[in-house]
Amino acid sequence: MNFTGGMTGLLVVGLAAVTATPALAQDGSSDIKIVLTSPLDNVDPCNMTAGYIGGVLKQNVIETLADVQASDSAVVPKLATSWERTEPSTWRFHLRENVKFQDGEALDANAVVASIARVLNPAIECRDRFKFFTNIKITTKVVDKNTVDISSEPALALLPTYLAQVGIVSPKTDMAALTKKPVGTGPYQFAEWTPTESIVLDRFDGYWGQKPEVAKATYLFRSESALRASMVEVGEADIAMAISQQDATDPAMDVTYLNSETLRMRMALLPPLNDIRVRKAFNLSVDKQAFIGTILSGETKIATQMMLPSINGYSNDLKPWPYDVEQAKKLIAEAKADGVPTDKEIVLYARIGRFANDEELLQALVQMWLEVGLNVRLQMVESAQWLKLGSKPFASDRQALLMAEGHDNSYGDAVFTAPFYYHSDGSKSELSDPQLDAWITEATDETGEERTKLFQKINNYVAQEIVPDVMLFHMTSVMRVNPRLIYKPNLMTLGKLVLSEITFKD
Amino acid sequence: MLRYVGLRALNGLISIIGLVILVFFLARLTGDPTDLYMPIDAPIEAKQEFAANHGFNDPALVQFGRFATGLLHFDFGESLRQSRPALDLVLEAYPTTLILSAISMTLAIVVSIVVGALAAWRPNGVFDRVSSFISLAGASIPNFWVAIVGVLVFSVWLRWLPTSGTGTVWHWIIPITVLFIRPCGLIVQVVRGSMISALSAAYVKTAFAKGVKDRSIIFVHAIRNAMLPVITVAGDQAAGMINGAVIVEVVFGFPGIGKLMIDSISFRDFAVIQAGVLVTAIAIFALNILIDIAYAMLDPRIRRV
Repeated sequence: MNFTGGMTGLLVVGLAAVTATPALAQDGSSDIKIVLTSPLDNVDPCNMTAGYIGGVLKQNVIETLADVQASDSAVVPKLATSWERTEPSTWRFHLRENVKFQDGEALDANAVVASIARVLNPAIECRDRFKFFTNIKITTKVVDKNTVDISSEPALALLPTYLAQVGIVSPKTDMAALTKKPVGTGPYQFAEWTPTESIVLDRFDGYWGQKPEVAKATYLFRSESALRASMVEVGEADIAMAISQQDATDPAMDVTYLNSETLRMRMALLPPLNDIRVRKAFNLSVDKQAFIGTILSGETKIATQMMLPSINGYSNDLKPWPYDVEQAKKLIAEAKADGVPTDKEIVLYARIGRFANDEELLQALVQMWLEVGLNVRLQMVESAQWLKLGSKPFASDRQALLMAEGHDNSYGDAVFTAPFYYHSDGSKSELSDPQLDAWITEATDETGEERTKLFQKINNYVAQEIVPDVMLFHMTSVMRVNPRLIYKPNLMTLGKLVLSEITFKD
Repeated sequence: MLRYVGLRALNGLISIIGLVILVFFLARLTGDPTDLYMPIDAPIEAKQEFAANHGFNDPALVQFGRFATGLLHFDFGESLRQSRPALDLVLEAYPTTLILSAISMTLAIVVSIVVGALAAWRPNGVFDRVSSFISLAGASIPNFWVAIVGVLVFSVWLRWLPTSGTGTVWHWIIPITVLFIRPCGLIVQVVRGSMISALSAAYVKTAFAKGVKDRSIIFVHAIRNAMLPVITVAGDQAAGMINGAVIVEVVFGFPGIGKLMIDSISFRDFAVIQAGVLVTAIAIFALNILIDIAYAMLDPRIRRV
């Protein structure tokens, strides 16, 4: 029949048209494209604590008075060249001279005061304020053009570390509303933002520091890991963030690195989890090594506490729990004999789609616990439900449960972990131990070596005496990097991808 | 005819009002979004401040009163995530989805009518068997799989097409193809079945006897009578496509309504959910009116209902 012949002809012409498309060329310029997992819902510098916003803006467009080094968590100068504690509650910051904002305004003490006031302004919903300054009163005073005093109530021994999270913005920035065009002193200026499609940063020629090699960075957003990986493979992008383990198939391009997240199973200390023998049995029955290089990347590290070794307060005294099924069974039997309801069902709540292979990992954990006689059921829930279950105020009819919980401390000090998770006032804390509360308060006010020792003592006490969780892994991320670039990601990369650290091979 | 369309419109309006009320309260049953917007370790006081600022602590009826009052002024509220009017976000996202859906659906209808009619011409013939196999496969394969395999084959292996994005006409080829395959496969089957019945009717045999050309019998006489079930299925598929485009939008980074809705639901961005549902409901309602008008034009008996 003639019609079918015509249809075939049309198909052939269509295919020919498609095949005539020119191949996509790889970009050889000093412009790069970075593909992120999701678009930015806003680009205000006072929200940089959200990793996906900080990852684009922090130290690229917006700089801070001080910066935390990824390698050793040391707080180093940025827009402030030095600082000293003049009183217990007051720090004096000396500003870098001859620094201009990208809109031509000069950096001075007034600009710093205005930036801090903006973050603290209740008219703007700043995540940085909610996270760091909800219960802290900050006051500022201009000493001279390049010197500013910053005080806190209560006194903060780590005020420079806190201020390493506060972006300094141009005085022309809207002080009472979120901005859509952030202006800072960084080596890149914010050129273009199409909310659902892209963000473009251009190199800022008036930058005070060394000129970076990357001239222009375009951020694209793709939620599918395989697609992000493909984009680098075909030359449509130069860096793809958060590639899943399955898509990391090219060792020449895929870089696995420790991110700042630690994974643990938090326990609500209700029967039977109010018995330490049961909690220890949970830990003893997990063969952590079996996950590494299989479900999880080979670079994953077994965790002993909720922070990485580079964080101040990390304790080297702690060793991972051994995998000892017999001992676990023995502890459960002892608890059962004493009337602890060890066969009561405990639900493990986990967030859907938290990380690659998460459900496989959780199913395997549940299986390990079932094998020693613990009654655990996995329930994957949406983020909103998970957050409700794991945040105070807890439900009055709460039962014993486990929460699959990741914690990210990339701020350099244990004070960004212990008060939230271990102090009885902490919004995520299951504990109520006056001794521990007193140590946390004391450690928060301490400085130097004493501070480090106190936080180490806290970490030891929690892990050895309380055992409030099943501590699992320091997690990894995979980044795909175009071979034309030289870039080494670190534990802070997810919240601060510094473009000036990227160089070209040729 | 006008009375018929008017009655349908009134029914649609009542459904939309019911839907708006339902979505408002169902969305709130899923919980307070405060935890999703605050840093995970934010103190309780900060969360309380945020919830109070946005009225999440108020009784649901009070919140609904605020929403309904705003609605009367065409104010859908502001997106929590993006601090922008919710309606603006929805209306910005719609064109992408409409273009994507309209092109895919038009192609699907044209191709499926031609292929289905030709398959019905010689039931169980070679063309019928091949087209049935392909169309059934098309109707069964998940969009997500087609999308990823499409990128792998045409973008990564062959390097003919870009992987994603919306820059040029080449960016649209894989997404449109992915969206086109399923409705096309389904409608081919409906057209085929409907045409087989129509071609065995007495008036077709009369046309043969009178020596009318094959092409005219299929595409002039039989197809018009075979179109009613096809319009029903095509209309249903078109309405579903507005929502079904979500997978294509998510995978290929198309800034459409499906992706916006998924993100808004995940983040409990109530204002955007409500605006998105209302605008989508109105679009589907308008589509249904068009389908009803098409019915009435094709079948005069319906006009008298």
